[in-house]
Amino acid sequence: MDTLFVSIAVILAGGAAGLLFYRQFTLMKLVTIITTSAGCGIGLYFVLPKLLQGTTATVSYNWMHTLTLFFQLDSVSLFFLMPIFLIPPLTLVYSFHYLENREKRLRTGVNYFFFSILIASMAMVVMSANMITFLLAWELMSISSFFLVMYDYESSENRKAGYLYFIFAQGGAMLLFAAFALVHSHSGSFDFNSFAAIPEQAKLLIFILAFLGFGSKAGIFPLHIWLPKAHPAAPSHVSAIMSGVMIKMGIYGIFRMYLLLDPATPVIGQIVLVTGMVTGILGVVYALAKQDIKQLLAYSSVENIGIILIGLGIGMMGVSGQNQAMAFFGFAGAFLHVFNHSIFKSLLFMGAGSVLHKAKSKNIEELGGLMKRMPVTGRSFLVGSVAISGLPPFSGFIGEFLIYYGAFQGLTGEKLPFILTVLAIISLAVIGGMASACFTKVVGLAFLGEPRTEQADNASESGIAMGAVMSIMALSCLLIGVLPEPFVRLAFSGIQDITAVSSFNSDSFLLIVRHLSKTAMLFIAIFIAVSLFRKILYLKKEIGSGSTWGCGFTQPTVRMQYTGTSYAYEMVEFFKPFVPIKNAYTGVKKIFPGKTTWQSEVTDIAETGYQRYLTTPLLSFITKLKWIQHGHIQLYIGYIIVAIIVLLLFL
Amino acid sequence: MESVLAFCFAVAIAPLLPAVIQKTKAYFAGKQGPPLLINYYTMIKLFKKGSVYSTSTSFVFKLGPVVGFSTSLMMLLYFPMAEVAPIFSFHGDVLILFYLMGLGRFFTILAALDTASPFEGMGAAREAFFSTLAEMTIFAILILFFKLTGSLSFYEFFSGDQAIDLMGEYSALLILVVVGLYVVMLTENSRVPVDDPATHLELTMIHEAMILDHSGPDLALIEMGAWFKLLFYSGFLARLIDPFHAENVIVNGLLFYAVVTFIYISIGVVESITARYKMPQVPKFILTPFILVFFVIILSMGVMQ
Amino acid sequence: MIELSSAFFSINHLSDALMSLTILSVLMSLGSNRLMALVKIMAFQGIVVSLTPLFLEHHESMNFSSIILLLIMLFIKGMLIPGFMYAAVKKIKIRREVEPIIGYHASLFAGLLFILLGAFIANRLHISLPVENDLLLITAITTLSAGLFLLMSRRKAITQVIGYLMMENGIYLIGTALAKETHTMYVVEFGVLLDLLVGIMIMGIVLHNINSSYNDVDTALLGQLKDN
Repeated sequence: MDTLFVSIAVILAGGAAGLLFYRQFTLMKLVTIITTSAGCGIGLYFVLPKLLQGTTATVSYNWMHTLTLFFQLDSVSLFFLMPIFLIPPLTLVYSFHYLENREKRLRTGVNYFFFSILIASMAMVVMSANMITFLLAWELMSISSFFLVMYDYESSENRKAGYLYFIFAQGGAMLLFAAFALVHSHSGSFDFNSFAAIPEQAKLLIFILAFLGFGSKAGIFPLHIWLPKAHPAAPSHVSAIMSGVMIKMGIYGIFRMYLLLDPATPVIGQIVLVTGMVTGILGVVYALAKQDIKQLLAYSSVENIGIILIGLGIGMMGVSGQNQAMAFFGFAGAFLHVFNHSIFKSLLFMGAGSVLHKAKSKNIEELGGLMKRMPVTGRSFLVGSVAISGLPPFSGFIGEFLIYYGAFQGLTGEKLPFILTVLAIISLAVIGGMASACFTKVVGLAFLGEPRTEQADNASESGIAMGAVMSIMALSCLLIGVLPEPFVRLAFSGIQDITAVSSFNSDSFLLIVRHLSKTAMLFIAIFIAVSLFRKILYLKKEIGSGSTWGCGFTQPTVRMQYTGTSYAYEMVEFFKPFVPIKNAYTGVKKIFPGKTTWQSEVTDIAETGYQRYLTTPLLSFITKLKWIQHGHIQLYIGYIIVAIIVLLLFL
Repeated sequence: MESVLAFCFAVAIAPLLPAVIQKTKAYFAGKQGPPLLINYYTMIKLFKKGSVYSTSTSFVFKLGPVVGFSTSLMMLLYFPMAEVAPIFSFHGDVLILFYLMGLGRFFTILAALDTASPFEGMGAAREAFFSTLAEMTIFAILILFFKLTGSLSFYEFFSGDQAIDLMGEYSALLILVVVGLYVVMLTENSRVPVDDPATHLELTMIHEAMILDHSGPDLALIEMGAWFKLLFYSGFLARLIDPFHAENVIVNGLLFYAVVTFIYISIGVVESITARYKMPQVPKFILTPFILVFFVIILSMGVMQ
Repeated sequence: MIELSSAFFSINHLSDALMSLTILSVLMSLGSNRLMALVKIMAFQGIVVSLTPLFLEHHESMNFSSIILLLIMLFIKGMLIPGFMYAAVKKIKIRREVEPIIGYHASLFAGLLFILLGAFIANRLHISLPVENDLLLITAITTLSAGLFLLMSRRKAITQVIGYLMMENGIYLIGTALAKETHTMYVVEFGVLLDLLVGIMIMGIVLHNINSSYNDVDTALLGQLKDN
């Protein structure tokens, strides 16, 4: 355990170095990146063997003589520590070439400082074992990530995004406080171990409060609306870490809460499952509807949170239905997907950052043809896209396979559980299909075809650090897909401390995993053989090149290419009641019509809902109370005195 | 050994059967139609040719046909054609195989978008949409089969004590599954009434529009992939409706392929007597079988004993 | 060497098959966009539904008169009413689109919901009533609610008639499912059917009149008849 604190100290030292040396730009970046990565390395070195052996550890510190900081490590915490220590070093290396602006060196230093605090606080969230420690770490995490989002604070849009994130982070934290306070009122203890003892009927309410609180961090529908705003605002390496790792802390919280409460009611599992399905499907539909790469990726994170929640929900329903296989594979699938998603989502965000850096746009309608201009970014983005669509032989498939497998085991249930399981499988299939559509759109329109603007035409490959990191991550996506067994084992050891499934024997399943890996290899072998066959066929043949067949039209322009909006339109329209589309068309009026425009916009139904039913009424109510604010400091002091007196009188 | 032979036979016969569809359609049109071996001739012709590549395309364009062909071939490797055990099979193979099909589609769509042609983009968008809808039906069928047999592999579906059998306990309900699978087959293989490869306007095609720019051996690979895929789906359907079970492997195989041929003829008949749906009507057509299969699932829940 | 399983032809399986076909016709009617196709589907449904009692286990011992009754039912449901509607569609030149208020996809998903609903209600009834065939009950409830849904969600007057007809089919199936004694029930059923037939004839005349005075058969136009 001490090693872990050493690693956190080293990480924080790395961040402090960023502040200290900010005058020497390159030196500062080097020192910070190397130190912080070393800290993460120490952490990983500690976590990995512990996770495989399955040891647990506890440690407590007295803090300010009043409260104890209590830390505990079980297999779940150890598993979640892995992405926390694995992804940040990679994103930091990437940032070496991403943060290139010397003018902003102080800001870059501050960015590194908060970055290291974010890593440290996430590690502490996962390790903490009482309410005080947990909330302390949780708040630290929210605040440090808020400052990371506010990197480009000059733009008012970015500031707004930051504020929105702050509201959701703190609103969520408030719900957590409420949930913890409820627990405390029943048990009278701050200790996590006291959760299980509280009365059964209180557990549901506590879980729902905590679920909403953690859900606002994880991005469940309809608490997700900060994601598509904050991610485009934040620098790409920050989006990568936030989407890849930080939102998983919400998942960790939900799962930890479930484990601690150990509820007997099946309702909780059903709530989680249904939320997962709604989040997953609507997330991917909105992802499909968006043309801004980073917004699209943010919605895709919402979708993946949905998949993870489906896995957890399947697991919880397995526990309440006493179906060990279902529980085991549901949880294991969710865990593996957490791990996989942290890799490919970071990869995709880095790819998007690289595009933004060089082609100066993140709108896919303004890109195109980047595969030839940015070969490394393009290829790794392609791999990431295939992986996130859950297609074999890449990593995304393995996690989804586990969840599918768990869900199929659950088909023995009765009535409501059965129907929910059926719907879960079908929603997974729909999510998978829509995700492929979504990512073929991004790759096909941004990286393939012809560049739509001059900026995209002039784009060139990004720096070596960025390319190298992206290639490593792309390779690991393929590696996990082809040789999944060690990673599946890792997920299995992640859930070994959960009592409900600890006695399940998974050996027969490992055989299936080996078959999966064989199938993947067979496919790759066939693929290589067919490629060679194709090469032979083309030997000594005439290979011509010309323009694309325009179906008789002889003067094509790049503007004639299919756009992202039209690519997605039919699919999005299918979900019309949940995904409002606004079209504006000026129409063709005269015999010789002039210029005409057609505009299509998809608004987030959650956002409009908040606006209509929450913020607008709230605002009109608060405007009526405006007279309290008048700017005289003396009167404000008067308010304070009155408030104190009233409180003293009544308490 | 048997399995390998069955696989080789399936690969060899795959190009022959689509000619049956063409013959049927020709018969309805009062024409003589192309020779039955037409597809072999086409293949040889295409293999002999070179290719012209658009300057817009990148390596992804060349990857499309290869991935598509490989994934279709994988399906035949894992599917028990003619009641012979497939070369490979394991519990859970249906999931990875249908996802591999998804991979093939992913790259076909990318190859289409790589050409920067509006027509191919349009085809790609429709393909992505309709296949997602068809996937719902496929997974509903998998759920039902798992419920009936407790297995997740093509081979286990049709072997063992609880093998799926149209004559068995759920016979009447399996009729609905057959309808569902038939619609999925039409959708996934771009046949009328979902897609019409024979129209004169690229705007109204789906699959055919996506491969406009492929030529030579690349086109041959795509065509062969499509034939394998059609053979896989009609084989799946044939395993469901095949009422004959013979002791002798060869007789059995012949009977099986007779049923498969019957399915191909039925496709030809459908194509001759119906027109393609309007594009907005197609999702409805694909959704109906999903709901049918869902109905069967609900019944399988145990209401019906 | 070649064996054909005889189980396939057992009575029970045939009735199950008829139920499946009924569900198929219900879903197709929810999704169909052409009036003509809708009428054809209803003819098909009428035939299937009126054949059902023949193949139910507890109705096996039927006497001559009830079979005659059944045949008349088949004639009315399968030919007379659809034929009448066919003529109406042809004669008064209604536009061929169905004009849904609720779209086709949503209608299909509603069909899915009705099936779920039917399953749950059948499950409930199973405890309180001596129902032998759950599938029959589910199909009946689905048909009934889909008929109501058609009434609610389609704009044309003729689709209203079709909705009523479908509802009637559902009621007929429910009656079949619950009846122990065959004849008594068919008499009631027959009366209902005759009422419906008369209703449809009147509807046809009214339709014809709406058509001649408004040149359209949209039920929304009936709103103009109300007092202001």
